[in-house]
Amino acid sequence: MALGNKSLSDLLNPISKQLEHDVVAEHVDLPEWEFVPWRVTDGKSAAELVDMFASEAEKIRVQVKRCKRDELAACVASIVGEGVPETGEACTVVCASDERFATAGLYDALAAEEKVSDVTVWDEAKGQANVDAAYVATYGVTYASAGIAETGTVVQPTSPACGRAVSLLPLVHIAVVDAATIEPTMLTVMKAYADADGKLPSQICFISGPSATADIELVRVEGVHGPMYVRYVVVE
Amino acid sequence: MSILYNTDETLRERVTEGLKDEFKHNAIRTAQEVFYTKRGELVKEMGIGWQQLRMHATEVRNHVTDNLDYYVKQFAENAEANGCIMHYAPTGDDALWEVLDIFEKHGASYAVKSKSMMTEEVGLNEVLEETGITIIETDCAENILQTAGSKPSHIVVPALHFDREAIMKIYKEKRGYDGSSVPEEITHFLRKILRKEFMDAEVGIRGCNFAVASTGSVTLVTNEGNGRMVDSFPKVQIVFVGIDRIVPDLESLDTMLALLPRSAVGAKMTAYFSLDSGPRGAGEVDGPEEVHIVLMDNGRHTLANSEFSDMLRCMRCGACLNICPVYRHITGHGYGSIYPGPMGIVLTAGLVGYDDIDSMAFACSLCGACTEHCPVSIPIHDLIRQHRINIVEQGKNHAIEVPIFKALALMWSNVDVYNYAMKMGTPVMKKLAHGEDALAKDSAWIPVVKGWTSTRDFDCLSETRFRTWFKEHKKQQGGGK
Ligand code: SF4
Repeated sequence: MALGNKSLSDLLNPISKQLEHDVVAEHVDLPEWEFVPWRVTDGKSAAELVDMFASEAEKIRVQVKRCKRDELAACVASIVGEGVPETGEACTVVCASDERFATAGLYDALAAEEKVSDVTVWDEAKGQANVDAAYVATYGVTYASAGIAETGTVVQPTSPACGRAVSLLPLVHIAVVDAATIEPTMLTVMKAYADADGKLPSQICFISGPSATADIELVRVEGVHGPMYVRYVVVE
Repeated sequence: MSILYNTDETLRERVTEGLKDEFKHNAIRTAQEVFYTKRGELVKEMGIGWQQLRMHATEVRNHVTDNLDYYVKQFAENAEANGCIMHYAPTGDDALWEVLDIFEKHGASYAVKSKSMMTEEVGLNEVLEETGITIIETDCAENILQTAGSKPSHIVVPALHFDREAIMKIYKEKRGYDGSSVPEEITHFLRKILRKEFMDAEVGIRGCNFAVASTGSVTLVTNEGNGRMVDSFPKVQIVFVGIDRIVPDLESLDTMLALLPRSAVGAKMTAYFSLDSGPRGAGEVDGPEEVHIVLMDNGRHTLANSEFSDMLRCMRCGACLNICPVYRHITGHGYGSIYPGPMGIVLTAGLVGYDDIDSMAFACSLCGACTEHCPVSIPIHDLIRQHRINIVEQGKNHAIEVPIFKALALMWSNVDVYNYAMKMGTPVMKKLAHGEDALAKDSAWIPVVKGWTSTRDFDCLSETRFRTWFKEHKKQQGGGK
């Protein structure tokens, strides 16, 4: 048979034949599953889940701050106000465009910090300039769509208001999470996406701590291609 | 086909080589112990939930295997509806063809890649390099191997066989590194040099841990963030997806993710898990403009509805390697397949047949530790035994080796695998390697590597044939699709 340019049926036919199916079924129902796994989060109250989220995050070396909604801007500003971690040099910030940030006065608070030399708010109209800003930024600030208590994870969908670069290129990623959006496990997050109408975002990234490797002699090193430091700000 | 490499030495030579290398030995032992201990703690924490998760994952994966044609079709149609460009590859050569075609159409010559066993399986790097395309491995370990010209020795920690001094030297010679041998410094050097390459690359090539049929999504589990770089910045993205990567829906994806990082590296989650559904959306300024999915079979369908169908559940976590006493002794390079260890024996034999690997199935003590630790309850050691039975029945066995491993099996199956293997394993393997009367001199055991630093011999025959085919077909088609 010639190479390349194969159709879906070329791929499917041998599979169907092997399975002794005459045709590919029009529809297959999921069976009643026999096992419904127990999870460590079962039976936990909302407050317990927030605590679990924070303690699991700390286990994976994320620094967690908890604040009231009206403290959001001050809380995030106090982190970037320290400048570049370890050296304390002046820094730049790239930030998701989000109404909740605007309402909280975050953008002004960031710009007012002495050690912050530039603040870029993600703006689709500026195209590649957003990515260029993120490439050199010390801090990237996002508003996570949810948190996951079991693993201390934040959920970060891509959108025109917040590109992939914000949580990926800067040295430090600051994720703001509403306590009310903290879910027990990834399952509840997945269920919500499954129930939602329309197409999924082009990417939903589940982030759990700084980028890390142990590829050289199994020694853990943080800060490989993604952020070296991750901070969560939990808004209660 | 590049699943096997360097098929011209005997197991005895390889085992001798492996046992000589104390560093590699200790490295593998440490890795096994670290992953095993961490995994154990997490499993304990989950209580009864762990076994329930395993059983649930097993029933989900079985359901997909029984309806594989339906789920492959559903995934393909939904991925296409998301705006992905689909390429169907019944064989590895079909996959290579499709990839070359994409490069040619874009006139692209520069690509970054994140670790993908499927691309290893088809020998993608070699073929692309042959055609003048630069392809950069961006996973730290893979980059070390690529820079050094070596092969993976572990599926999760592929560069385990190099110590820090060796790695420092490699980068000094090849990339002008002038720092120390401290892992942190070397890693941050890699961060610096690879960053620019991610931004400049025209094409990003990646694998897929699980593909979701109901949403047409592909997923990637990484710790370093190189996977995210690959799928955020190059304008064209190529995703390799095996037909055995499919789960029905997002809920079952959660089950797999609850098992995979815990089993693989003893972590609750990896730093990054991304769920990708099509190219960048309207108004988005990063992410790929074009996503090509290469959906590949390459022999996997033959496992369905067969005595080896359980293997289609495998999630490539490596837990069976991390527990295996034989793996510890003969190391990843000992198997001569890109898929080493217990899972590797079953899968390699399933994909390439018995002719070239006839004795690989005997590099196992049948102790059953792999089966006990597999997150999707694959009866791995039973499947290995089944391969042996088939090999013997088909008259491809090496009679002398069978009793040896039967004896090993007896010893290892009744004691604590770890302690016993550590105390007894080495002398036993040494006897195996040196005792003239233990092994027939000419027994062509299993495909082997020429020591652990040698580069892989790409299967020249099939590569040449492939390139010729590609050129001829291109000519017939007038140079394009
Ligand atoms: S066979 Fe089981 S334990 Fe081994 S890699 Fe596959 S899923 Fe993991």
